[in-house]
Amino acid sequence: MVFSYNWLKDYVKNMPRPEKLAELLTMHFAEVEEVKKVRNDYVLDIDVRPNRAADCFSHLGIAREISAIIGSKLQLPLAKVKASAGIKTADFVKVEVKDKRACPRYAAKVVADVKVGPSPKWLQERLRVCGLRPINNIVDIANYVMIETGQPLHAFDSDKLKGGKIQVRFAKKGESIVTLDEDKFDLEQSILVIADDQKPVAIAGIKGGKEPEIDKKTRAVIIEAANFNPRIIRKASKKIGLRTDASLRFEHGLDPNLAELAVNRAAYLIQKVARGKAGNDFIDIYSQKNVPSRIKLDLGYLNNLLGLAVPKAKAVQILKKLDFKIIKESQKSLLVEVPTSRRDVSLPEDLIEEIGRIYGYEKIPVAFPDVSLIPGKRNDRIFWEGLIKDILKEAGFTEAYSYSFIGDKEAKMFKYKSDELIEVQNPVSLEQKYLRPSLIPNLLAAVKRNANNFSDMRMFELGKVFEKAMASKDKSQLTGAATGRDFYELKGVVDLLLHKLGISEIWYDDYQATPEQSKISIWHPKKCAEIKIDGTEIGFLGEISPKILQQLEMPEKMVVFDIDVEALIDSVSWEHEFRPISKFPAVVRDLAVLVPRKVKVADVLNKINSAGGNLVRDVDIFDIYEGDELPGEKKNLAFHIIYQAEDRTLKSDEVDGVQQKIIKALEKSPSWQVRK
Amino acid sequence: MDLKKLKNSAAKEIKAAEDLKSLQELFKKYLGKQGELTQILRSLKDLPKRERIMVGKEANEVKNSLSLEFDEREAELKDREVKAAQEKEWIDVTAPGKKIPTGSLHPLTQARRKAEEIFQSMGFEVAEGPDIETEWYNFDALNIPKDHPARDVWDTFYLKNGFLLRTHTSPVQVRYMEKNNPPLRIIVPGTVYRHEATDPSHEFQLQQIEGLMVDKNISVANLKAIVGEFFKRFFEKDIDFRLRPDFFPFTEPSFDISITCLVCKGKGCPVCKESGWLEVAGAGMVHPNVFKAAGLVPGQWQGWAFGFGLERLVMLKHKINDIRLFRSGDLRFLKQF
Repeated sequence: MVFSYNWLKDYVKNMPRPEKLAELLTMHFAEVEEVKKVRNDYVLDIDVRPNRAADCFSHLGIAREISAIIGSKLQLPLAKVKASAGIKTADFVKVEVKDKRACPRYAAKVVADVKVGPSPKWLQERLRVCGLRPINNIVDIANYVMIETGQPLHAFDSDKLKGGKIQVRFAKKGESIVTLDEDKFDLEQSILVIADDQKPVAIAGIKGGKEPEIDKKTRAVIIEAANFNPRIIRKASKKIGLRTDASLRFEHGLDPNLAELAVNRAAYLIQKVARGKAGNDFIDIYSQKNVPSRIKLDLGYLNNLLGLAVPKAKAVQILKKLDFKIIKESQKSLLVEVPTSRRDVSLPEDLIEEIGRIYGYEKIPVAFPDVSLIPGKRNDRIFWEGLIKDILKEAGFTEAYSYSFIGDKEAKMFKYKSDELIEVQNPVSLEQKYLRPSLIPNLLAAVKRNANNFSDMRMFELGKVFEKAMASKDKSQLTGAATGRDFYELKGVVDLLLHKLGISEIWYDDYQATPEQSKISIWHPKKCAEIKIDGTEIGFLGEISPKILQQLEMPEKMVVFDIDVEALIDSVSWEHEFRPISKFPAVVRDLAVLVPRKVKVADVLNKINSAGGNLVRDVDIFDIYEGDELPGEKKNLAFHIIYQAEDRTLKSDEVDGVQQKIIKALEKSPSWQVRK
Repeated sequence: MDLKKLKNSAAKEIKAAEDLKSLQELFKKYLGKQGELTQILRSLKDLPKRERIMVGKEANEVKNSLSLEFDEREAELKDREVKAAQEKEWIDVTAPGKKIPTGSLHPLTQARRKAEEIFQSMGFEVAEGPDIETEWYNFDALNIPKDHPARDVWDTFYLKNGFLLRTHTSPVQVRYMEKNNPPLRIIVPGTVYRHEATDPSHEFQLQQIEGLMVDKNISVANLKAIVGEFFKRFFEKDIDFRLRPDFFPFTEPSFDISITCLVCKGKGCPVCKESGWLEVAGAGMVHPNVFKAAGLVPGQWQGWAFGFGLERLVMLKHKINDIRLFRSGDLRFLKQF
């Protein structure tokens, strides 16, 4: 909000220079975002925080802050009306408030025999500096007093109010209003209005109506200084989509006691500027008076919470400058009365903030806490996630972070059904319509975007995914994608990851698609495996389906793994027993076997291992060949079999014996043929 | 005087030999089976005894001296040959090294780890909370009532299932205090969401680190100490910082924490909008209503909380000029870290 330097200066003695003032306010009140010279004045743009709207959306409020910060005297504006006999507000208007909860106070004062015309230059200038357009002297004074005191005012032409009546009530069905800006609004019953005998003449706390507008012919002005329920104004303002200087102040909540000063100040200025006549009275419908509250402040707590000993006299001085009253004072505590304008202050902590910030946070020393040494526990989840990331990094993968959202385009491409997705109520753009149920769509999109600059990509993400069935529970997922590599290379990466996490019971099964699963469309149906630990599926590994690649306009094949991190972490283990290194040499024999194409390597390995027994230390497959020249849909598998004993050097004929046993076992299957 | 002559001319020729092959020839010429000196030595037996002794002595001396000369020259020539061969093996050390395929961790992961390490070394535990939150934890429990303008400050993504995406990591303060009694020291890294349009300095999905310390006598002075230590270790240099008043409903008093601009060192530049300071965190003393919401008795405990935007710290540290790069998945960006 912008403030005029010259205006503030009216209330503060020994005012610092604008730049110095900006620095002081920033350090003790709120950030001054800009100081700009405008003609012979300066505009200060102050980021008044919402808790101080009630008293500091006003020049007076800011001036009070300045006076407290620099310890100077605050000069209040004049509001003493020169009373003319025979002028009584009640003779001009009758006010009725239908709902006291919606309108805790309604003050109105008449100023008669006004000369409506342009405002004097000084008044116009101040409004302009604060970003307001001058209209005529009456309207300008209403705005001036709002900016000065924070209390929004409204001026009605008394003659134009039908039946000489003001009613504060909720709008009736079908009512509408044309505002001063000539905009028409249809009013709902939740909107509070000011009405005359017949219809609404203003939207309460938001905007005046065209009808009782002040014009050159206006003779008597009724000034309204009311207090409205902030929630009602806020809702109405949102509903009709109109936010004004007045509604902004009302929706933060104002002190009803402010109305009296404002209404008299406005009458005083109208007398000065537009030569009107006013009485001493004003209409005041104010049943539930807002009375000041009291807070006991323990001075020990003050010092203890700040970590700084503030001298008692200093604390008292600061509070007084900020308009707080000290009711009782003892060695250990203060009993403080809070001005009703300070709606943000209700607790001792609030007073501590007042004292602390004015005294200066820079005076607080740097001191490490005196606490008992409690060793922090390791967060296992974060630890294992960190290890998973490190393993993938070492395997050449680059970590990406993508957004937690997907749009309709992705939902359609990956065939997610709406009952699987959590939908965002108010997305900023269509790309954020749903929360991601998987990391795959965004990771693939990232790979695709990089395809212009890179080949042989390996990327991964470890992040949260969201499924409708889980409502508010999110879960961690790990997804990796690679281009320029085949299924088996990525299977190697998954093996590496699981082994380094101490997981041994790993198994890969043909992907068994269940028709209701949307996941089905992601994978190449014949090049996809379920990753299992101890028989439980923890994720998938496979090629992305050609259809999706085509829709992504991705020319290259992509292999992806997608693993449930929680399931993975449940299986990790640091337990790893060292296997002694045998002192005796190993013997390697090769073996090639021709089998039908659909025979699984795992089955062949099983047979070799079980026939070979203890002496087979390891079996490595080093070639899988599926050339055309092989007879009838067959493939050739070639193995190194490593023989070793723990307690002796194996003799050649001993190894031969085992090798023969293996060959025999393999050839038990009639269609298998060991090549000799 | 044949021997002296022979010695001189042989020595001269050895020195003049330019390669091993000609040296070999020379050896043959003088010391070989038919060599001149060999022949002299061989002819000794025909000389009278006295002369034989004299000439023999001299001839042997010449032989030894020549052998030495041959050895020296041979070493020289071999050395020269090795050098010549090495010269041919010259490589251009300025040509680039072979690219080893490597992976990398996201800069936010790296920064988060660093922050976790720093705080863990000061006895803080790392806690987490869900991205999908309830209005209660995100707002009400943090002293932000419904229909209050303060809620507008946090532009919120609401979900159709009645939940919302957390706008800060602060809900974890309450979640943690419900389950754990003070004294406590935690940090909470996590993703937060802000409903706003993006540009080089605005993003709708961010990483935050929340800090919370609660005990009997925790003060603003302690907050200054812990936060100052964090800055020093995170940026690996002495960093000046300051607290100024701010407003958060869940802390009282509340602060904005700024550090000296890392670009201009406080002199004023476009990055810090000429102020010399950069806002990096919000902080404050835990509001009594937050203790209450978490089921603790306010008068019994004191504490502070803070929240850092991790992206901002990383941008300052690495001079990154566009916040949207973090979630772009662009390898040209990611591979630099």
